[in-house]
Amino acid sequence: MNYDVLVIGSGIGGMESALKLGDMGYKVLVVEKEASVGGKMILLSKVFPTLDCASCISTPKMASTIHHPNIDVMTYSEVKEIKRNKAGKFEVTVLKKPTFINENLCTGCRECEMNCNVAVPDQFNFDMVARRAAYIAFPQSVPKKAVIEREGTSPCTYTCPAGIKAHGYTALVRGGKYEEAFNLVLENAPLVGSLGRACYAPCEGECARGRLEGPISIRRIKRFVADEYYKDHVQPAYGVSEERKDKKVAVVGSGPAGLTAAFFLARKGYPVTIFEAASEPGGMLRTAIPSYRLPKDVVDRDIRNVTALGVEIKTGVRIDDLNELKDQGYEAIFVASGTHGTRKMEIEGENLGGVISCIDFLREVNLGKDVSLKDKTVVVVGGGNVAIDSARVAVRLGAKKVIVQYRRSRAEMPAHDWEIQAAEDEGIEFEYLSTPVKYTGSGGILAQVESIKMELGEPDAGGRRKPVPVKGSEYRTEVDMVITAIGLEPETKAFQKLLQVNSNETLVVNPETLQTSVPHVFAGGDVVTGPSMIVEAVGQGRKAAFFIDCFLNDESLEGVHAREYEYKMPVVDKDKVIARQQNYRKLIPVANNKTLLSKDLDFTETELPLTEEEARYSAGRCLDCGVCSECQTCVHTCPAKAIDLSMKEEKKVVEVGSVIVSTGFNLFPAKLKPQYGYGKYKNVITGMQMDRLLSPTRPYNTVLRPHDGKVPENIAYVLCTGSRDQAVNNSLCSGVCCMYSVKQNQLIMGALPLADVTVYYIDVRAFGKGYEEFYQQAKDMGANFVKGRIAGIREKDDGNLTLFYEDINNGGKVMEAEHDLVVLSVGLLASPDAKNLFQNASLETDEHFFVKEIDEDISPARTSIEGVFVAGAASGAKDIPDSILHAGAAAAQAAAYVERTRMKK
Amino acid sequence: MSDRRIGVYICHCGGNISDYVNVDKVKEAVQDEPGVVVAKTSMFTCSDAGQQDIIRDIKEQNLDGLVVASCSPKLHLHTFRDVAKRAGLNPYQYTQVNIREQCSWTHTDDHEGATEKAIRLVRAGINRTNLTEPLHSIKINTVPKVLIIGAGIAGLRAAIGLNDIGIAVYLAEKEQEPGGWVAGFGKMYPHGRNGKEIINQLVNEVKKRDSITLFTQAEVIDKTGSVGDFRVKIRVRDQEEIALHVGAIITATGFNAYKPHEDEYGYGMDGVVTLAEFKKLLDKSEGKIIRQGKEIKNVVYVYCVGSRQGDEAEDGNRYCSRYCCNAAVHSSIQALEKNPQVHQYHLFRDMRTYGKFELLLNDALKRGSIFLKFDENEPPQITKGANGTLNVTVKDLLTFGEEVEIEADLVVLATGMVPKENQKLVDILKLPVGRDRFFNEIHPKLRPVETVVDGVYICGTCQGPKNSAESVASALAAVSQSAAILKKGYVELEPLIAMVNREACTWCGECETACPYTAISKEQVQGKEVAKIHEALCKGCGGCIPICPNHALDLKGYTDGQMKAMIDGLLKEKF
Repeated sequence: MNYDVLVIGSGIGGMESALKLGDMGYKVLVVEKEASVGGKMILLSKVFPTLDCASCISTPKMASTIHHPNIDVMTYSEVKEIKRNKAGKFEVTVLKKPTFINENLCTGCRECEMNCNVAVPDQFNFDMVARRAAYIAFPQSVPKKAVIEREGTSPCTYTCPAGIKAHGYTALVRGGKYEEAFNLVLENAPLVGSLGRACYAPCEGECARGRLEGPISIRRIKRFVADEYYKDHVQPAYGVSEERKDKKVAVVGSGPAGLTAAFFLARKGYPVTIFEAASEPGGMLRTAIPSYRLPKDVVDRDIRNVTALGVEIKTGVRIDDLNELKDQGYEAIFVASGTHGTRKMEIEGENLGGVISCIDFLREVNLGKDVSLKDKTVVVVGGGNVAIDSARVAVRLGAKKVIVQYRRSRAEMPAHDWEIQAAEDEGIEFEYLSTPVKYTGSGGILAQVESIKMELGEPDAGGRRKPVPVKGSEYRTEVDMVITAIGLEPETKAFQKLLQVNSNETLVVNPETLQTSVPHVFAGGDVVTGPSMIVEAVGQGRKAAFFIDCFLNDESLEGVHAREYEYKMPVVDKDKVIARQQNYRKLIPVANNKTLLSKDLDFTETELPLTEEEARYSAGRCLDCGVCSECQTCVHTCPAKAIDLSMKEEKKVVEVGSVIVSTGFNLFPAKLKPQYGYGKYKNVITGMQMDRLLSPTRPYNTVLRPHDGKVPENIAYVLCTGSRDQAVNNSLCSGVCCMYSVKQNQLIMGALPLADVTVYYIDVRAFGKGYEEFYQQAKDMGANFVKGRIAGIREKDDGNLTLFYEDINNGGKVMEAEHDLVVLSVGLLASPDAKNLFQNASLETDEHFFVKEIDEDISPARTSIEGVFVAGAASGAKDIPDSILHAGAAAAQAAAYVERTRMKK
Repeated sequence: MSDRRIGVYICHCGGNISDYVNVDKVKEAVQDEPGVVVAKTSMFTCSDAGQQDIIRDIKEQNLDGLVVASCSPKLHLHTFRDVAKRAGLNPYQYTQVNIREQCSWTHTDDHEGATEKAIRLVRAGINRTNLTEPLHSIKINTVPKVLIIGAGIAGLRAAIGLNDIGIAVYLAEKEQEPGGWVAGFGKMYPHGRNGKEIINQLVNEVKKRDSITLFTQAEVIDKTGSVGDFRVKIRVRDQEEIALHVGAIITATGFNAYKPHEDEYGYGMDGVVTLAEFKKLLDKSEGKIIRQGKEIKNVVYVYCVGSRQGDEAEDGNRYCSRYCCNAAVHSSIQALEKNPQVHQYHLFRDMRTYGKFELLLNDALKRGSIFLKFDENEPPQITKGANGTLNVTVKDLLTFGEEVEIEADLVVLATGMVPKENQKLVDILKLPVGRDRFFNEIHPKLRPVETVVDGVYICGTCQGPKNSAESVASALAAVSQSAAILKKGYVELEPLIAMVNREACTWCGECETACPYTAISKEQVQGKEVAKIHEALCKGCGGCIPICPNHALDLKGYTDGQMKAMIDGLLKEKF
């Protein structure tokens, strides 16, 4: 689609230009960056000098603009680039930002907004109140369609290998929606309780709040969610999926990967059978993680999330021949058999009785074998989490002394710091830079460990400093048991005849789809990745389920599908998140991982749960990095099913004959006048904020001061804030502030008949038609006008403000005056939006960065680029009547230009 | 009972209405009125969402009548007629009820009373709507030509602007030469362009174009017809009368400079001049400024002469003339450019160098101009001094009321703009004149160059004080507005006009005499003489209707029947 004229910006100037051109019969494209047309005028209360309601003037123009047969409007879109092409026309690239809401379906009912769990400052109320991440810009929005603000994927969610919407459930917990939070986690992982306890929480490592007082305890929030839910739901609330498919799927292994795959496949209606070699299901959750970290009833309850869907788990069945499963009618197989083998140290005495691998040790204990280490000495070899688990279990089994030998120093230890800390607290000794070289004993029974001291040498390929033995530093320790925890590996020998296996025993798969070399066999979890995290395995399980479903539907696993699986927006830059606010209220994290240290260490859970209050407080610390938390509430509540969180930016290239730049102005940032205390003193507001307080869509139902909600009685206006002021590099007069202040005076005197209004001014510039009369009217109504620029403002204890000024009309004394609300009449600055849009031509600006009119005397609105015109305040501060006239002038000339280029053809 | 299907929408208007009128109560009181099938309240009925809601109802509920109780029809009558149209309902089945300007805003002290009145007003509207019939607008083909009255900078630029988009122009100038005020200016603010050169450039362009016809010494003597189809007569050089056929008329007749009355700030004394006179002196000065053989070394400017006049001045100009601060400051810079030695004192009330003109003020200050602020109640006094100089005394507020005496060679009165004497044109075009006696637009924001006379537009300083560039901007806005109508090729006129019941009419001629628009004439229908209404000329004023002795006339859209029904609605006593 090509257009005669492109209008950039749909404020009053842009709309006026577009409407006039449309009426003349030209095809017009209007591009507006916000979600509604209307610009700033629609946000005003009433407008001078006629005191018309700004809405009354704007709304019909907004509706006409959007419904005009000759005008197309792209809202929530930005012009990215304009190039003049060989034909002399302009080639325009417009980016339509994703609104994440299908505008054809959205009815503007605001359900999404009312259910949204993220609040951000409302830019349309100039940050005085909050709006939601899903929102309709303002009540008179045109089009009245909701948008969801998403700056990107929040780092916590982005980093989660299982794709769990960490930000989402945090936001839900903040709002007290625990069941919704549980269900949100369930969308990505059935093992909510286990993850809430034993996940290593990469999300917390990415938490932006970590740059302030410390990260949010996201994992513990998840545990809280699971505990809350399981308390009331001993069984899942759902049963077998209504959708039934007939193709059977076999899953080998009931660890996190297998359970998760089974869960998602069963939700899709597949009959799934899990084959588990051990006597009980759960894989490492059951056999490796000690129950003081992860109580087994929690694992059981998590597994019920899977079995409730009709998944059958056959325990005690080891699958060695995958072809057998095929023969039994399973049309797809997911191998998730984990890493149940342990690496050997290959040193003398490793086969002595009393030398045991950590996996075997933990399995025996976890599966209920009665093991006692009473008064025994135990050496644990290794520095990973499993080593620590083994050591802490040994302590709990009554060992009198437990020593962890690790060949590097504590700094290099792969185990999590809090685990090491807990182990230290439990009296476990650590021998760093030590490793066994020989086990000795008699009668096949271990009695002694001979270890050697190490020192750290040059970094190896992985960047870690390689430990080097120190000659002659050997020493011996009398022990009863050695637990080796130096690495786990899969046991895949049995699969080798069918599948490709890597040298480290892991299975070879297509990393995109988890498909093995045999099309109907998929594999995932530790058996593919090597020893990893639960949450990684969960992610693999879900991914496998997705692609197995594709496979069983005879869909291609390549290309689109692989990309469509779990689309994530780019991760949000944490620096930008932190920079959103100048400062943050200090919110200390809830006391870390202090454990429940009972006198006699037993297997009861050590970690304190968060209380409800703590959970909500913790969730309340969330900075909402991505803005939208992806909590999916809107997806579920939208009656029109209009929400589409996977919507992407669209690029549109159009050709236009002429361009009108009507990008408006920026308000002077009042913080640049620190002596007025804006941002520091709560009862100092800007003129724009006062306009919002007075408007029919005002945030509160009356004018009140932000500090304490008191109705102000004595209001001061500080004119020329940021205008006529070389100290802030703006010597221009903004042309509108006197008049909008006078207008507000009249409105305040109407709304608050008892309030006094005083205006501190340099000159009162009531220059337009009817303005002087309007100014005199305000005076007659009782507004006080004091000539004198305000030098500074100080806040008093009660929130009132002392203003210092020179009382020029009365002898020039330096005076003080007390007011309970101060309005800074901030001026207008140039908007930088249009400056760099043009590629092969330069849009010149004046020394104050307004778009330059190169021939204002004869052709106002004409810019330095032939065929490009400027309308309204983009070329310099203008009030509304002047902007409208100026926009009319731009339209006339754009039309003339279009005609002239047509004639040339 | 009624078989109509009417939708009634009562607007909160944010809080403009609902703060004073209980809109829910109004809804309850009218929802069972005859014919009403939908009754709703709406936060902003005029918003897109409000409009879409009505459209949905019209379609789904099959409505055949629409009532919106909101603001003045001046604001939104057309908005809601369009809504009806978009929904497939005849726009004349719509009635706007004004419960804002004529109810909530006028009775802010009496919420109950306002609510009761709103109910009565809405019932009247419903009753009228019950009797509406579909009407069809009168389509008139437009003439793609425009008459521009006044060939000052605004008129000249408008002529070229219109012509650029394919519209032929007649440009009628009263004086011998085109160019107006600007033709007499040298350097102008803020870009330093020469006024005379600008005018020459525009006049040359106008003369080059075949489809712009410039008449000088021309005045408008007659106008008939209506928007899109005006017949205008102009008289050129007091003799030749030329008939023009145009689709629109743009008035760009400019301003007069305020002429101080005798003794106003010493006007009349030698050495007291107006800004315009001083500007002429400056423009022709090279180097030193010489007046009547004497070098001007000390200049005093007195601001706001003829503007911002307070209550004490009878028929005073209350308005600010907008351009004079900038012009005076600019003149002082020009004077310093000619002769950096000249001392200049500016006696002002408020320095209104708005927007980027503030830079002029900064420049003047930097170059050494001195600014003194006087109180409007203690204006400067100007008396004759020694050696042909003038003594100016002023109480300067900037030095805290110090009395300052200045010996001046020249006192420049920064005189404002006043409306031109244009009574004849006002009468012919029926131009609306505002309280400030400048021509009045319908609405400064919604319809800034339109007048209440369809097809007659205003621009430049005839509408109110403006500088040259601002006049040009408004002239081009008038170009857009007139082109928006003429490029379409036709206009639609409201069908709310008189109609004749031929059976009852006996042609007595009373109506023809009563009609102020010459819209009624006699015609023969089946051998009978009856009144004929000229559709394009009738304005629907209704003046003929009560005159008719046989009740043979009625007004479409406001029939006697509808009026009576409305009165019944207003008087109904049930709440």
